[in-house]
Amino acid sequence: MFEDLRFRGRALFRRRAVERELSDELRFHLERQIERYIASGLSRDEARRRAGVEFGGVEQVAEQCRDARGLALIDTTVQDLRYGFRTMRRSPMFSITAVATVALATAAIATVGCLADTLLWRHLRVEHPEEIVSVSALRGRRTDGTVSYPDYVTFRNRTTTVGALAAHYSTAPLFVSVGGNALEVNGAVVSANYFSLFGMQPALGRFFQPEEDRVPDRDRVAVLGYDFWQKAFAAEPAAVGSAIGINGAAFTVIGVARPDPVSLTPLPVNVYIPTMMLRVGYRWCDDSLAVGCTVLGMTGRLAPGRSTADAAAEFAAIMPPAWVNAPVGQNRGVQVRSPRGMSEDDQEPRLVATLAAVAVVLLVVCCANVAGLLGAQSLARRAEFAIRVSLGAAPLRIVRQVMTESLLLACAGGVGGVLLSRMFIAALARMFFSVDDEGHSLYYDFSQSNGTVLVTLIAAVVAGTVFSIMPALRSVRNPAASKTASARWSTARWLLAAQAAVAVAMLATAALLAFSARTVLEGRNYESAHVALMRVRPRLLKYTPDRAQRFQHDAIEQLRAVPSVQSVSMVGIGTVLGGASTQAGLPGWPSTQRLTVGYNEVGPAYFATLRTPVLSGREFDDRDTVRSPPVAVVGEALAARLWPDGGALGSTVVVGDGARQVVGVVGDVSMKSRDEPADLWVFTPFWQNPKQIDSRIAIRTAGDPAALLPELARAVHRIDANVPIAETITLPVRLSGLTRPVRVGATFIGYAAALAMLLTAVGLYGALAFAVSRRTKEIGIRVALGAPRRGVLASVVNEGLRVILAGAAAGVGLAVVAARTVSHLLYGAAGADWLFYAAAVSVVAAVGLGASLVPACRAAAIDPVVALRQE
Amino acid sequence: MGSSTDLPLHFDTSWATLLSKRKGECMDLPQGTLDLLILKAVAIEPQHGWAIAERIHQISNTALRVNQGSLYPALHRLERRGWIKASWDVSDNNRRAKYYELTAKGRRQLEEQTDAWRSLTAAINLLLDHN
Repeated sequence: MFEDLRFRGRALFRRRAVERELSDELRFHLERQIERYIASGLSRDEARRRAGVEFGGVEQVAEQCRDARGLALIDTTVQDLRYGFRTMRRSPMFSITAVATVALATAAIATVGCLADTLLWRHLRVEHPEEIVSVSALRGRRTDGTVSYPDYVTFRNRTTTVGALAAHYSTAPLFVSVGGNALEVNGAVVSANYFSLFGMQPALGRFFQPEEDRVPDRDRVAVLGYDFWQKAFAAEPAAVGSAIGINGAAFTVIGVARPDPVSLTPLPVNVYIPTMMLRVGYRWCDDSLAVGCTVLGMTGRLAPGRSTADAAAEFAAIMPPAWVNAPVGQNRGVQVRSPRGMSEDDQEPRLVATLAAVAVVLLVVCCANVAGLLGAQSLARRAEFAIRVSLGAAPLRIVRQVMTESLLLACAGGVGGVLLSRMFIAALARMFFSVDDEGHSLYYDFSQSNGTVLVTLIAAVVAGTVFSIMPALRSVRNPAASKTASARWSTARWLLAAQAAVAVAMLATAALLAFSARTVLEGRNYESAHVALMRVRPRLLKYTPDRAQRFQHDAIEQLRAVPSVQSVSMVGIGTVLGGASTQAGLPGWPSTQRLTVGYNEVGPAYFATLRTPVLSGREFDDRDTVRSPPVAVVGEALAARLWPDGGALGSTVVVGDGARQVVGVVGDVSMKSRDEPADLWVFTPFWQNPKQIDSRIAIRTAGDPAALLPELARAVHRIDANVPIAETITLPVRLSGLTRPVRVGATFIGYAAALAMLLTAVGLYGALAFAVSRRTKEIGIRVALGAPRRGVLASVVNEGLRVILAGAAAGVGLAVVAARTVSHLLYGAAGADWLFYAAAVSVVAAVGLGASLVPACRAAAIDPVVALRQE
Repeated sequence: MGSSTDLPLHFDTSWATLLSKRKGECMDLPQGTLDLLILKAVAIEPQHGWAIAERIHQISNTALRVNQGSLYPALHRLERRGWIKASWDVSDNNRRAKYYELTAKGRRQLEEQTDAWRSLTAAINLLLDHN
């Protein structure tokens, strides 16, 4: 065994010596035989001839000897690789094109893989992540699965399958004042066992003790996030023990978490407080620790030997006291699952699937293209293969060599793709995943996992095999007879048409998505540019409604007084341009007949501030107060629904429980994609709801709203410096946060479309140039017989354009299907879609024209004298 | 090579034609016997490839002729198995040639294979002579 290895090793590593010995040995034999024949009386030439015939092919025998040495596999692979590198160096243009093509296509695969991994698949970064389970209780219409504190206590105390069950409210907007500076940060309200559950360690001080999370409102202790500690305390160790204000209450800092903590959401946690301080951390319930206030998520670690299924079975049977007498259908079950990925957006799984499909199609296009290039390449190397086969090389050996070369290209491309995808991912993260729609900075762990890298390399190798197998087989099938140029062109034609089709479909889809994002960003029936936003939250300071309303009033006045502010208004519910939903109908309608409509409470001049057209009547103004008659403004679509014959103005509409008089009809602002039904909207005056405390304010400015944001905040703080102001961003920033999936899709598919188009152009150029070079003589004869050069040019261009246009026509069909699959990301009417299809066809046709013109000009420039002398 | 336990002789399919069929007077060698002949040819003294072919040809009374296309791959294979070993030496006509000699392992093989061959041919002869 050892001997065998030594023997093989020598042949492998001392290849040159072994080869020389082999050829010496065979030559010795041949010469000896020649001498023998000469001695027996033959002439030298005759002796040489006979010995040669007898011996057979020297190269063949040498090859069999190499095989016999048992080195065939490693040895020839090494040889093929060496040869492959030489071939790559010999035709650098081809190699660079092929490697770049594979790299650009596999980069798309790696990028999607990384997105999918981070958003949908990745485990939490803790020890034994497979033991971590998240528990969500589905009750009523809520979908976030959160529970109240008493519910959590029931689950925690009764479960045996989950060893440690922690409660957390990880997206708590906290107003933290450190040494007089107040700032809004994302915080987390967590149970004391939260840190040990995830194996977190303090960088300084300590985490909460169980005793500090036992009595409501008693232990005002806080743990800082590492980054926040660096930022707000300049990394001062004395931070531990110091006092900070959180939502107006005084806390003591007891510890600092290590950097890079386990995070359940993309929002980094800056400050942790115990669940017993939930009344400070969450102020939308009268008593945040009471049964009705469902705000806590639950995450736990399975007890040893227990599975997720065990836990699911157990939790389904645990019934907190508050749930026992719930109406039928209220308790929709408890889900226990392993938390995977960071996605918080329902659209993202579908988006990732769409992008994966695009990446695979792109890889197929790239395969078709490289196969075309390789086909031309192997045609050019036909003579080389023919010589090698006639010298005795086994056909399989040549197939293997050609495939080794292709796989070398593919692997180089795959590695390039992995590296390139890091740039792409970084760009995507910066463009779309760094800030949420409220202006908070986000953190996604987009580091490349080994799995992603492996999948990318496998994709490259599979692509390499696919695109090389046909040309490789063809190169040996009949090396003597070369396929005619026209037959080659007809295969190439199909491939090119298919590529053009894909390019058109991708281009149209990317354009639709980009336009869709722009539709939302610029708005129909609103103008987002020059609008600044802010959220003022006196509720966090426990303002009474009375005091809050006085504050809101003064704030609006202060803001109006800021130079370059044109108008100011606000909403009481949800966001500017958004809201909540309510029931509306005509007086006398039974509740079953009433419509679910979008609803918001808006201030005076709201529609003027957003530039939403008031179609008839008026919008709210200072006349509309608690003491004046209740009024409403309806959207166009709702007006048409309730009063099909017109006459909305002055009519009565029932909103919620109250009857209101319609004083105006406004244009509809829809934030709905084509998949969702269009919104019906009704608005009531902000000032007619005496319970309003918080608001989101919209400010139209003359200049750049972003530059004015600090001054706007100062204006509000002049009334009460402690009132928390959050979400000071511009409307376009907010809207781009909302349209993230659309913009990610548009960017990614746009990239794919550009690449597909480039590949089509390169492929078309290559195929036509090849066809022209094969037809040089024919064209020469035509020109000699008097064919006009313009005719020659036109015939080549025709040939190219016919293929591209046929493909493009098929591409429109493909684009319609593609648009349907992304309809959940499309905003705005479908009526103008044909424009995008037409534009995509034109662009691809123009690119095709450009790619055909160069070979066409070359054809037209053929000199008949030179061409005819060629053969 | 597990099949060698079932068959009395080492069986290797990688080289099917052992003899040049060009010459009518030469017999085809049964598969697997070339190894045995080579081992026998180098058993007396180290030989180079050409001489091995010559020796087989002569000793067999010119009945057997080894095709060079099979001889050299077979030599390299036997060398790999460690049954013969090679060294470079000056030949009788003053040129460098590769000489093969039997190793201890090869000698054992030769004995085993010779026995196996004898018993096989004896058995076949018995069968053929049987009336």
